[in-house]
Amino acid sequence: MTALTSIRDLTVTYRRDGTAVAALKNIGLDVVTGERLAVIGESGSGKSTLALAIAGLLPAASRIDGRIEWPGLGRAPLGGRDIGFVFQDPSASLDPVMPIGKQIAEVARTHLGLTWPQAYAKAKNLLERVRLPDPDSALLAFPHQLSGGQKQRVAIAAAIAAGPKLLIADEATSALDTIVQAEIVALIRRLVAEDGMTLLFISHDIALAAELAERIAVFRHGQLVELGATARIVDAPAQPYTRALLDAHIGLDAEPLLNRSGLAT
Amino acid sequence: MSLLAVSNLTKRYRRGGKSIAAVDDVSFHIDPGETLALAGPSGSGKSTIARLVLRLVEPDAGRIEFEGDDFLALRAAALRARRARLQMVFQDPLAAFNPRATVARVLDDPLRIHGIASRSERPRRIAALLERVGLAAELASRAIHEISGGQRQRVAIARAVATKPTLIVLDEAVSALDVSVRGQILELLLDLQRQERIAYLFISHDLGVVRAVAHRVILLDAGQIAESGDARAVIDAPRSAIGKALVAAAPRLHGTRR
Repeated sequence: MTALTSIRDLTVTYRRDGTAVAALKNIGLDVVTGERLAVIGESGSGKSTLALAIAGLLPAASRIDGRIEWPGLGRAPLGGRDIGFVFQDPSASLDPVMPIGKQIAEVARTHLGLTWPQAYAKAKNLLERVRLPDPDSALLAFPHQLSGGQKQRVAIAAAIAAGPKLLIADEATSALDTIVQAEIVALIRRLVAEDGMTLLFISHDIALAAELAERIAVFRHGQLVELGATARIVDAPAQPYTRALLDAHIGLDAEPLLNRSGLAT
Repeated sequence: MSLLAVSNLTKRYRRGGKSIAAVDDVSFHIDPGETLALAGPSGSGKSTIARLVLRLVEPDAGRIEFEGDDFLALRAAALRARRARLQMVFQDPLAAFNPRATVARVLDDPLRIHGIASRSERPRRIAALLERVGLAAELASRAIHEISGGQRQRVAIARAVATKPTLIVLDEAVSALDVSVRGQILELLLDLQRQERIAYLFISHDLGVVRAVAHRVILLDAGQIAESGDARAVIDAPRSAIGKALVAAAPRLHGTRR
């Protein structure tokens, strides 16, 4: 078990209205090569800041202390090539006026040194792999012609086009309805397995994280609350906050909040 | 008598030269003090039904009776007056309110517009509304953009109950909240319902939440009712294809897929 990336004493500070706000405080964790690690937390927990820090995408004005090392890579990662990033809103990450085939092919051409025809063949293959119907015409389609779930499939195809070691999905299914969310989660799981990628799955949803990840890291107020195997976190959380998150999950087997007596039905 | 009775409601949109029924011959009713949930995937018509019931859009066909009257026939002053009894809370209160308005201003508007309280009486009514939804009276002077998402949704609920409604349409009203806040807001809604016998049309994509708070549920698919009944009975043993798909897709803490 080697660490793909090793994070030590990571503190990230943003400037907001003239005052410094620490979004992450002294974080230490390893992302193990080949694992599916979920990072969960509520708003302001720092989970997205962690994803951006690992991907080297933090805004220039933010202050970064500590170290992010890449023993599993043996060198500094190249953004876009070694790390694929899928955001919550695919409309914001896709160019609205460029055919989606070209957007995917561009990634393959830039990072893999392919010719345009080779890159387009690769893009078509990727659209097949993300199960977009009719890949030949999809290559020429624009993002607005696709549904939200289809756009996220395209964003995933672009993210994995250069064959990254690490795939980061930051709330990648949060804007989708439950059925499409389950499809996209299944797709991510399959692609990660097929390509031997490491997955960093950022989510506010502990149940969704539990279905997909082998390990879960719980974040709160910029700090790592606890980290452990999914079954351990779900069945025997060590921290009260993790217990509170589990209790707050309203699943299909939850005790109804509704007191039915005295109400009209 | 039902509080709200919707019959054969239909709303069509044109898309790419084709006419698509967003809501297709939908009928349902809500009794006083009852929570009826509308659930379904994106595009199933649940939010369109919410907007039709609120008369934010007009239907192509169908009838809506609210408190015994033909709601679609109400015009101008009569409609405005009746709207006090039929309120709404949306997913994102930051989009619903002027972000720079103070909390007091947001709560003052319905009291003034519907003539519920005189100018001198309103500050006291605002303080009482804030207390009713579990917020400190000091919050009144804060701007909407300064308070947290959970506090903002409490303000939205306070504004909705300010006019003593009999029905509140809740369109994904807890979907954007952190889980720790979501439970508190649901408890607040149930508490208001118990005390004031408010009925809810509860729109959500989250079957776990629907099962926990609704009396009855309607599952929608492509603008039509796929299945309806007691919320727990339907969700525990769905019969329709969409019901089965929705239940299968709901994330589970102790999932078998792991």
